[in-house]
Amino acid sequence: MTGIGLFAGHQYQIAFVLLVGVGLYTMIDAKNLVKKVIGLNIFQVGLFLFLVSSGYLAGAGPAIIDGEGRYVNPLPHVLILTAIVVGVSLTALALALIIRVYDEYGTLDEEHIQEVMDGD
Amino acid sequence: MTEVESLRPLAAVAVSAVAILGILAAHRRPNLRESVTLVSATVMFGVVASMVPGVLNGTVYVTRLDEVVTGVPFVLRADALGILFAVLASFLWIPTSLYSIGYMRGLDEGGQTRYFASFAGALSATMGIAFASNLVVLFVFYELLTVSTYPLVAHDETDEARSAGRKYLAYTFGGGVAVLAGTVLVYVAAGTVGFSAGGIEGLTGGAGTNVARLAFALLAGGFAVKAAVMPLHSWLPDAMVAPTPVSGLLHAVAVVKSGAFGLARVVLDVFGPDAIAEIGAGLPLAGLAVFTFITASVIALRKDNLKRRLAYSTIAQLSYIVMGLALLKPAALVGGLLHVPAHAFMKLTLFFCAGAIHVETHTDRISRMAGIGRRMPVTMTAFGVASLGMAGIPLLAGFVSKWYLLAGSFSAGNVVFAFALLLSGVLNIAYFWPVVYGAFFETREGSDEKPVIDANIGGYWSGVADHYAGGAFTDGGHGDEDDGGWKKPGWRGGEASPFVLVPILVAVGGAVVIGVAPATVYFFRIVRLVVENVTGVAV
Amino acid sequence: MTDALLGVVIALPVIASVVPLVASFWREEIGWYVAVVALVLNAVLIGSVVRSFVSGGILSHEVGGVAVPYGIELALDGLSAPVLVVIAVVSVGTLAYTRTAGPRSNSFYSGYLLLTAGLVGVTVTADVFNLYVFIEITGLGAYALIASGGDGRSAYAALKYLLVGTVGASLYLIGIAYAFVATGTLNMADLSARLADVGYGDTIVLASFAFIIAGLGVKVALFPLHTWQPDAYSASPYGVAGYVSALVSTVAAYALGRVILTVYTPGFLTANPVVSSGLIYFGALSIVAGSVLAVLQTDVRRLLAYSSVSQFGLIVAGFGIGNTASVFGSVVHLFGHAVMKGALFLTAGIIAYRFGVTRLDEYAGVARRVPYAGAAFAVLALSLVGVPPAIGFVGKWYVALGAVRAGETAVAVVIFASTLLTLMYVARLLDRMYYGEAPEAVADGGGGTRVTRGMVALVVLASVAVVALGPSASAVQETLALGEVLGG
Repeated sequence: MTGIGLFAGHQYQIAFVLLVGVGLYTMIDAKNLVKKVIGLNIFQVGLFLFLVSSGYLAGAGPAIIDGEGRYVNPLPHVLILTAIVVGVSLTALALALIIRVYDEYGTLDEEHIQEVMDGD
Repeated sequence: MTEVESLRPLAAVAVSAVAILGILAAHRRPNLRESVTLVSATVMFGVVASMVPGVLNGTVYVTRLDEVVTGVPFVLRADALGILFAVLASFLWIPTSLYSIGYMRGLDEGGQTRYFASFAGALSATMGIAFASNLVVLFVFYELLTVSTYPLVAHDETDEARSAGRKYLAYTFGGGVAVLAGTVLVYVAAGTVGFSAGGIEGLTGGAGTNVARLAFALLAGGFAVKAAVMPLHSWLPDAMVAPTPVSGLLHAVAVVKSGAFGLARVVLDVFGPDAIAEIGAGLPLAGLAVFTFITASVIALRKDNLKRRLAYSTIAQLSYIVMGLALLKPAALVGGLLHVPAHAFMKLTLFFCAGAIHVETHTDRISRMAGIGRRMPVTMTAFGVASLGMAGIPLLAGFVSKWYLLAGSFSAGNVVFAFALLLSGVLNIAYFWPVVYGAFFETREGSDEKPVIDANIGGYWSGVADHYAGGAFTDGGHGDEDDGGWKKPGWRGGEASPFVLVPILVAVGGAVVIGVAPATVYFFRIVRLVVENVTGVAV
Repeated sequence: MTDALLGVVIALPVIASVVPLVASFWREEIGWYVAVVALVLNAVLIGSVVRSFVSGGILSHEVGGVAVPYGIELALDGLSAPVLVVIAVVSVGTLAYTRTAGPRSNSFYSGYLLLTAGLVGVTVTADVFNLYVFIEITGLGAYALIASGGDGRSAYAALKYLLVGTVGASLYLIGIAYAFVATGTLNMADLSARLADVGYGDTIVLASFAFIIAGLGVKVALFPLHTWQPDAYSASPYGVAGYVSALVSTVAAYALGRVILTVYTPGFLTANPVVSSGLIYFGALSIVAGSVLAVLQTDVRRLLAYSSVSQFGLIVAGFGIGNTASVFGSVVHLFGHAVMKGALFLTAGIIAYRFGVTRLDEYAGVARRVPYAGAAFAVLALSLVGVPPAIGFVGKWYVALGAVRAGETAVAVVIFASTLLTLMYVARLLDRMYYGEAPEAVADGGGGTRVTRGMVALVVLASVAVVALGPSASAVQETLALGEVLGG
C-alpha cells in the first residue's frame, strides 16, 4: 500500500527543500517584518508542494473515476486546499498585526522596534 | 489488637483546622480569638485523651476515608505510637496557648491573628502525622506542617526572620522531597506503603536489598532534616528568631519531633528493626546521632544567646531519640521513644523560661543574665530543674529515658554509645550550669565575664569580623535590650504574668512527674506497648 | 458508541463566533453575552458528552457520515475527556473574569469563541490532519486574543508568536506528510496500525516522529522552543493570559501525548529506546531550564510563563515514559496545571488592576492589602510546588511513580527535584507578597477600580478547587481506562 507514496522523480523533493530553506532563512535573517511574513509564505508553499506531490503517480490522471485506469491520490489535494486556506488567514492576521505595529512604532524594522520597546 | 472504626482520629485533626476559620473570623476581637484557640486546644486534647485507655488495651481507632492516590488509602489510625505523639502535642498545646497569649500581648507583637491561625494549622498537621496510617498520608501532613509553620518562623517580618523562613522552607521541603522519593521506592518495591508493626513484608532481601537501602537512606535522611540531625540541622538555630512559644512547642516538640516520629515509623513500622539490621543501616545512623549530640553540645557551650543555646541543646537531645531508634534493641527503643515526651516537657520549660525573661527584661544573652534569679525566682528555679533533667539527674524525666538508652547501648554490645551518652550528660551540665549559677549566685555588678564567646571556632576572617566589630550579635533577638530592666521587683518578685508563669509550672511539673513516677504516667505504658508490639519483647 | 454531539461541541462556538462580528453593525459590547450563552451551552453539551463516555466507554463519530478512514473521525476517550472538561470549565470561568476586566469589544469575543472551538477540536479529533487544522485555528484565535491588548507591544508579541507558532505547526505538518507518505492514511487508529506494519525502525517513520515532536514542542513551548511564550503572556491582557496559559499549551501538550501514545504507541517507544529517552530527557531539560529561567525573572507574568515551560516538561516526560501511571500523572497535571496557572494569571491580574504593579519587587506587601486574592495566590502557588493534598502533588506523584517503575532513575530525580526548583521561585514570590515592605502604590491601597468581588471570588474558588481536586483525582483513574487507550 505504500505505492501511493512513491515519488515520480526527485524534482519535487529538491524544490521542497529549497523553498523551505529559503523561507526559513528569510524568516530568520530579514529584519523587515513584512519580509518575515513573505518568508513564512515561501516556507509554507514548499510544504504544500511536498504534500501534494506525495499523491502524484507518473502517467496518472486526475481522480475523476471513469472506469479502469491510473489515478492520482485525491486526498493530498483536499489537504492542501485546506492548508492553503489556513495559510491565507494566517497571512492576513499577520499583516493586520504588522499594520498595528507600524502605527505604534512607525517602523517595520525589528531592531528599531526592539530599541523603542526597551526604551519604554 | 482490635481495630475499631471511629471518627475520633479524624476529629483530632479537624478540630484545629476548623478552629483556623474561627480564629480568622474573630480577627477583630482578640479575646474571642484566643478563646477559640483555648477551646480547640482543650477539645483536641480531650478527643485524643479519650482514646488512650482503649489504645492501652490494644484497641486501634481507625477513620477510613477515600484514597489519596490509587492503591494508597486515606486512613487515619490511632495506634500506640501515634497516640504517644498526639497526646504529647495536644496536651502541651494547652499551656503553650496560654503562654502565647501572655507572651504575644506582653510584647505587643503584630500579626497575632496570623500567628494563632498558623499555630492551629500546625497542630492539625501534627495530629495528622501522628495518626497517619501510611507513608503517603504521613507525607501529606508532613508537608502541611512545613507550610503552616513557615509563617511562624518568618513572623517578625524582619530581614533576619524572612531569611530564616526561606532557609526553613528550603531545608524542610528538601527533606520532604527525600521522603517522597523514599515513599515511591517503597511503594514500587513492596506494593504498599501501609505501616505494620515490625515492618512491611518483602521490602528487603534478595535483589531488593540495595533498593531497600536507598529507600531507607532517603526516608531517614528526609525525616532527619526536621529531626535536625547533623549536618541537616542548621535551619533550627536560625528558626529561633521566631516568637518563643513557637520555638517552644514547634521547635522543641511538634516540628522536630515529627521528624523523630517519622523516623520511628520508618524504623518500627516500615522496615522493622530486623530488616534494618539485615541491611546494616542501624549502625551508621546511630553513629551520626552520636556525632550530632556531642558536636551540638560543644557548640551549645559557645552560644551566648540563650535561645540559640537551647536550640543546640534540642539538636543534641533529638539525637538521643534517633540513637535509641537506630540501636534497634528493645531497651534502646523504649529509651528513645520515652525521650520524646521527656525532652518535650523539659525543653518546653526551658523555652518558656527564656521567653519569660525576654518578655520581662528584653534580655536574650546569657552573659547579661547574672543575678536574674533574684528578680524571677520561680522562673529560674523551673529553669534549673529542667536543666538538671536534661543532664539526666535521677528523679527527673531525662533520667528515665537515658537509663533505658544506656541499657540499650549495653545490650547492643556497643560500649562506645554508653560512654558517648555519659559524656553528653557532662556537657549538658557544662552548658546549663553557667546559666543557673549566674542567675542565683552572681549579681549584675559582681559577675565575671565567662570565657564564652559567641563566634565561629577558629574566629572570623577579617571581612566578617569587621561586621561583628560593633558587637552586632543579633542572632535570634527580638527588639532591643532594656538595661536595668530588672530593678523593679513587685510583690511577686518581678515575675512575668500568670499567663506566662502557669504554663512554666505545668511543663516543669510534667517533667518532675515523669521522673519521679514514670510508671504512673501514661507515656511510659504507651512506649512499652509500642516496643512490645514491634519486637515481641516486654521491656 | 457514536455520539453526534462530538461534532456539535466544535460547531457551536464556531458558529457563535460569527455572531458578535455581525452584531457589531447594530450594537457594541454585545459579544460578552453571546459568548456566555454559547459557552455555557457548550459546557452543558460537553458535560453530556463526557457523561455518556463515563457510562458507555469510548465515543466516536464519523463527520458527515463518510466512513473512516476516508472521512474525519471525532472521538472521546480517557485521554481527551479530562482535557475537554477543563476546557469547558476554564472557558466559562475566564469569561466571567473578562466581564469587567477583559477587553469588551465584539471582535475580542469572536476571537475567544474561535479559540475555544479550536481547543475543543484539537481535543476530540481522531485525524492527524484535522488536528493540524484545529491547531492552526487555535493559533489564529490565540494570536488575535494576545493582540487584543491594544498597544504595539501586544501586537508585536502576537506577531512573534504567529511566526514561531506557524513554523511549529508546519513542522508538525511535515511530520504528518511523512507519515502519510509511509502509510497513505490520516486516521489515527488506522495510521497507528499501518505504522506498525511499516516498522517502527523505518527511517521515514522516525523522521515523521521527529518532525511532529519538534512542531508540537514549539506549540507546547518546551525549552528551547519556548521563546515566544513569555512575551506573548506578558504583553496580553490578564484575562487573555489566563485563558491562553491555561489552555493553549495544554491542548498542544495533549496533542503531543495523543500522537505519541495512540498513533506511535508505547510499542514504538519501546522499539526505539533512543527516541524514548530523548523525549523523556527533552521533558526533563525543560523542567530544569524553565525553573531556572523563572527564578531569574523580575516580571511576575514572565515568571509564571517560564514556570509553564517547566511544568509542561513534567507532562511531556510523563507521556514519554508511557506507562499507565505516568500517563495518568500527565493527564492529571494537564488538568491541574490548567486550573492553577490560569487562576494564577487571573490573580496577578487582580493585583495589577488594583495596584498597577507587575514586577516582583513591586509585589511587596500586596497580600496584606488584598487578603483573599493573596491567599488564593499562595494556595495556587503552593499547589504548583506540589504540596499535598492539592492536585499539583497528585500529578507529580503518578509521573514519579511511573518513572521509578520504568527504571528511569535520572528522570525520577529531576521530577523530585522539580519540587525544590519550583519552590525557588514560589517562595521568593510569597515571601515578598506577605512580608515585604509595601511600596507607595500598594500602601495607598491602589487606585485601580476594575476589580470586582466576582473576580476575587473566582480565583478563590479556583484555589479551593485545586485543593479539593487533589484527593479526588485518583478516583477517576479507573473511569479513564488509560490502559485501554495505551493499547492494553
